[in-house]
Amino acid sequence: MEILAGNELLSGAAVYFSPSGEWVENLQAARTFAKEEVEARDTVIATSKRTHRIVGIEIETVTVNDGILVPDRMREKIRAEGPTAPYAHTDRQHLSEDGHVSI
Amino acid sequence: MYRYDEFDAAFVRERTSQFSDQVHRRIAGDLTEDQFRPLRLMNGLYLQLHAYMLRIAVPYGTLSSKQVRMLAHIARTYDRGYGHFTTRQNIQFNWPKLRDVPEILADLASVEMHAIQTSGNCIRNITTDQFAGAADDEIIDPRPVAEILRQWSSLHPEFSYLPRKFKIAMTGSPNDRAAIRFHDIGLQAARNGAGETGWEVWVGGGLGRTPMIGKLINSFVRHEHLLSYLESIMRVYNRYGRRDNKYKARIKILVHEEGLETIKAQVEQEFAEVRGGRLTLPGEELDRIAAYFAEPAYERLTASVVDVPREKILNPAYGNWLEHNLNAHRQPGYVSVTISLKPVGGAPGDATDTQMEAIADLAERYSFDELRVTHEQNLVLPHVRIADLRAVYDGLVANNMADGNAGLISDIICCPGMDYCALATARSIPIAQELTRKFESEARQRDIGGLKIKISGCINACGHHHVGHIGILGVEKKGGELYQITVGGDATENASVGKILGPGFEAEEVPNAIERLVDAYIARRVSVDEPFIAAFRRLGEAPFKEALYGNA
Repeated sequence: MEILAGNELLSGAAVYFSPSGEWVENLQAARTFAKEEVEARDTVIATSKRTHRIVGIEIETVTVNDGILVPDRMREKIRAEGPTAPYAHTDRQHLSEDGHVSI
Repeated sequence: MYRYDEFDAAFVRERTSQFSDQVHRRIAGDLTEDQFRPLRLMNGLYLQLHAYMLRIAVPYGTLSSKQVRMLAHIARTYDRGYGHFTTRQNIQFNWPKLRDVPEILADLASVEMHAIQTSGNCIRNITTDQFAGAADDEIIDPRPVAEILRQWSSLHPEFSYLPRKFKIAMTGSPNDRAAIRFHDIGLQAARNGAGETGWEVWVGGGLGRTPMIGKLINSFVRHEHLLSYLESIMRVYNRYGRRDNKYKARIKILVHEEGLETIKAQVEQEFAEVRGGRLTLPGEELDRIAAYFAEPAYERLTASVVDVPREKILNPAYGNWLEHNLNAHRQPGYVSVTISLKPVGGAPGDATDTQMEAIADLAERYSFDELRVTHEQNLVLPHVRIADLRAVYDGLVANNMADGNAGLISDIICCPGMDYCALATARSIPIAQELTRKFESEARQRDIGGLKIKISGCINACGHHHVGHIGILGVEKKGGELYQITVGGDATENASVGKILGPGFEAEEVPNAIERLVDAYIARRVSVDEPFIAAFRRLGEAPFKEALYGNA
């Protein structure tokens, strides 16, 4: 499965495209795209780019384990949860009040 | 320290205003990201894994207390209360918001700082010896020439779009503490047969995916011709450097592929054209710049010696700090003090806003208002009276910066790695943290002696792993992290590139693997006076390979 990841313009926070058409912080709320949904996926990418509010959109592959989305790349796991150092629970960046983006 | 003249101040102010307008236009949707990206990078603003990252230039690693206080203010006001000092003597903030960046740049401009040319294919921050102007082994203070190079290379119209980024490092001492042989151009102060002072010029050094030791292209260039000579090198590189492949675009590849003699001939031809022209540096201009770096008002003190053995008995922690964190000063009665940013379990190079304020206070009170950033991610108070050492130490203790580990195994260089960097392929900070815990004992560190560990989270080698006595490179393998260990690197005048001795290790295996290397060294060293790197050179790879992988 694939998801769409990016960074929100104002905060730089990592965000994911959700089924409701919003870009959200929570990886688990990401919309998944099956292999045959390439056209829908690419439409979302093109539409999101036109908002000018989502930067560096990337297609990431995930595995679904018991309903939990697990990114295949370590980088994306860290991106979703925040830095693992210097503290194990270093908070990730969050969207600011005006950082919510819909397409 | 150098102070901005009217031109400098106006230029930085105008650039800040210009970028502020660009940020507003980007937020309003009048600029696309494709249009904005090169503009933000020209102002040091990267977009990393979790957030923006702002890289701020610290010219030749020199800061005033006022500037450090402003960095503390920025950390506290716009970021998360800390900053990260880098291997290029700069500082990075990991969490700024786009709307705040114009204000941050305006704050920086108010203390004569900026983020220009901390990204892009241009000449980056000139780095130098952290003990410049203070070290007792120095031939000349490199900072006046570093400042002249800064002025020459700032927005140089011909060199703003080079094949790739370009890094210059310089040292005024024969003992290279600035890793000059691993820079695109390295400059080392030299004396000719007539006793005149000038510069050895090294070219084509670098780390990254193709580590190379710089080659001596000219053994003596006079001050007045240095700009002409460097411009000649830049012109040859700009003309012939590869632009078809970014991995082969650095000058080290050009020098390697064409050969030093070919490049030297081209540079000499260019030099013959420009020598004696507009770039000739008048002696009075060098004197004018050098005046900014005049010696501080030292007290006339008789030479005194720090009685380290006595202090080690009275207070072992203080004695240990004295033993490792001082550097000999040219002025009797003074020393340079290294402030360790390598606490056990910390992220190398990080300093909180409170720590920065405390450091600024110490510099103001005890070091003529001056601070230095080291490429090994520590800070330095360059001019401290020996009589003030205890007060400085107590001030550092109060702020958790009194580790007496400069140059020891826990004084680790480490890039941000995959916890922060979008280019990284593995984490590096957690490895450094585990190693400092593994070797936490001060007694054990002292016994091991001088040993430099350097860690990079990708092949770009921001953590200088190639030149670590022990280097660690994190790579991605099958969705996980794997760490290659190299042994035998050296960033000094005895430059060497570390060798990979075998397969990589899982993260949790790394601390034990490093311990086996250390144990192998201790078991085989001639005496405690033989450092790790000397033992490696004497013994060769075999015992260290066996330590890592056994006899199989």
